[in-house]
Amino acid sequence: MYFAHAGHWLTSIAYFIPVIAFLVWLGVTQIKDRRDRKQG
Amino acid sequence: MITLFAHAGGLIGRSDLPIPEWLFGWAAAMVLVISFVALAILWPEPKLEGDRWRPLPGGRVVGSRVVEIVCGAIGIGLLGVVIYTGLQGTQSPAANFAPTFVYVIFWIGLVPASVLFGDIFRAFNPWRALGRAVGWAAGRVVRSGLPAPLTYPERLGHWPAAAGVFAFAVLELVRSGGDQPDTVAIAALVYSAITFVAMALYGVEAWSARGEAFSVYFNLFSRISVFETRDRVLGVRPPLAGLAHLHAGAGTAALLAVMIGSVTFDGAGEAPIWTGASPDMTRFFGDLGLAPQPAFELTFLIGLIAAILLVAGLYRLGVLGARSVGGGFSAQQLSRAFVHSLVPIALAYVMAHYLTYLLFRGQAIVFLASDPLGDGSDLFGTASTQIDYGVIGSTATWYWQVAFVVAGHAAGLTLAHDRALALYDDAKLAVRSQYWMLAVMVAFTSLALWLLSQANT
Repeated sequence: MYFAHAGHWLTSIAYFIPVIAFLVWLGVTQIKDRRDRKQG
Repeated sequence: MITLFAHAGGLIGRSDLPIPEWLFGWAAAMVLVISFVALAILWPEPKLEGDRWRPLPGGRVVGSRVVEIVCGAIGIGLLGVVIYTGLQGTQSPAANFAPTFVYVIFWIGLVPASVLFGDIFRAFNPWRALGRAVGWAAGRVVRSGLPAPLTYPERLGHWPAAAGVFAFAVLELVRSGGDQPDTVAIAALVYSAITFVAMALYGVEAWSARGEAFSVYFNLFSRISVFETRDRVLGVRPPLAGLAHLHAGAGTAALLAVMIGSVTFDGAGEAPIWTGASPDMTRFFGDLGLAPQPAFELTFLIGLIAAILLVAGLYRLGVLGARSVGGGFSAQQLSRAFVHSLVPIALAYVMAHYLTYLLFRGQAIVFLASDPLGDGSDLFGTASTQIDYGVIGSTATWYWQVAFVVAGHAAGLTLAHDRALALYDDAKLAVRSQYWMLAVMVAFTSLALWLLSQANT
């Protein structure tokens, strides 16, 4: 059932890839900043 | 929802776009990121916080008491027509003046009108006009003067307005038969009674400015406009500047969440995720012993609340993220400081989702004005006109929708950036706090375009 509709929900996920990518980048930046603050 | 006046975004289909619809979402996100970088480089100081209002030539005429009385009388007359036609006319929603006027012309049409011309609802507001007229008449009768109204409690803030907009959304999107003309008329009567009691308690102006749902709702959109009336004089200000001077308090973020969340739910109502899950939920409530209609309404109420909580949660996430970069501000301070940036997003959601609905269904007011009761009358000779569905094509609609979404979120980004510059001492910290607001804007953009795509599924 879910695989039969894969085309549809994959398209839906495609809309949110920029959000996911941005959040990943934001998370990495945050972790890097914290590490720099601890070291510096 | 299966009524005529709900899930209106799916009034149009499209098939001939040069790239997949989801790629528009990526492009929109890119535009926001580029806008963010451009703002960080080219907008180094707050520009919207100052007061740059100036009167217009002839502004005194537009803002005069005569114009106010005439507009108020028109507003009272229209409220009367809605109540009368709703109760006395045909109970077919499409053939009665009341549902189309309330759900299309008033609720949606006044939004772009407020952005273009300023706070016009304040002039036409029937409750404010009646409240002022009664107050004036009572002041003449009671020689010793009327007792002073209670001070509007600060803790109430915009909560009554949020509750009012939520109640309207429930009537439109949850209640079975919420578009029935007599239901619309009774709702108008009940709302009028509540409003008059509140005005009697807290004063006409205080309640209109903070508590009355429609006044607050349209006033928020009018703050995007370049036009503003002050002390009965019409003047101009930079676009968006009115939002920078918004007095955000208790309930303002909730109000914006309701505004955006209700449109989100209306759009998601056409998505397979909802059309697949809602029958199961309704069946579940039916199994618990609820009759079919309450089970159906409870399902939709849960969906509406979930959409509002999703929007509120996204904004909260942005606020908590902004707090994490430092600066010493509490989450509540940041929430109130940046909540005005959600207003252009609410505008984008309304315009993108209801564009075709307004352009198509809005035309019905021409023949309904001639035949408001649906009894075959032809008061103005326009009863035989029909809706022209060729007024905008499907592809053009999609481009306009994308344009509204991108422009609205870019405007929200601009407001948030300007406020951050005013709020933080360190410009670098201001920009870093806005990474999170950018994430919120990208999320709202993707959500908006996904919802629009679902209307065509």
